[in-house]
Amino acid sequence: MAHNDGKDAPVRVTLETINQMQADGVIGKYAIGGAVGATLYLEPAATLDVDIFVTLPAAPDSLLLSLEPIYDYLKARGGTVKDEHIVIGGWPVQFLPPSNDLEREAVTESVATDVEGVTTWVMSAEHLVAIALRTGRSKDHIRILQFIEQKAVDRDELQSILERHGLSSKWLQFESKYLAGTHE
Amino acid sequence: MSKQEMRKRLASLSFSEKIQILEKLRDRSLAFAATGPRKKTTAGGRKKADKGSKE
Repeated sequence: MAHNDGKDAPVRVTLETINQMQADGVIGKYAIGGAVGATLYLEPAATLDVDIFVTLPAAPDSLLLSLEPIYDYLKARGGTVKDEHIVIGGWPVQFLPPSNDLEREAVTESVATDVEGVTTWVMSAEHLVAIALRTGRSKDHIRILQFIEQKAVDRDELQSILERHGLSSKWLQFESKYLAGTHE
Repeated sequence: MSKQEMRKRLASLSFSEKIQILEKLRDRSLAFAATGPRKKTTAGGRKKADKGSKE
């Protein structure tokens, strides 16, 4: 891991470290979500952290999933814990084990992409929208509207995901509140 | 260039280019946070700040 004071550190360093952690078997498949994930499809929006949804290899003697192996691995390589984040290569990263079928599917069906020569995985636009709808904060609603306005989602695929995960009625509420009369 | 066109242009950049912009935005946010809120503002300064915050 590259050590620095957190200034001018590229996300590339963060992603290289996470990929190495995956290669070392500490984590399974992962996908970038949140604002950084949305940046693959939309214009960049200011954010202070990176949300990484990560599957964890099940410990043989426990039914509980623990982030401790991730923290131990990264702390041994210069990572520092700050609240719910661990700072890697200058970027605070929040590791989130998928907490429901939608998030699990979003990780499984994530899209491979490239950041300055480093391969990484980002959730699909449709999964990002579905997760934002389920989360339902104001900033999530704003992000959904950006996806819709910029035609960055496949509406058929989105409907299919929403139906599969019981979010159709929530979507109808969202549509009537924010999209009524916009022809979107 | 209209705001809408600018947003489209930014959205069409590669992920690497967008990540570089994210990093700059983050550095700027951190710099703002580090300096803290301004305690005193002149009337002219306030007027300028208000104008700048308009979308």
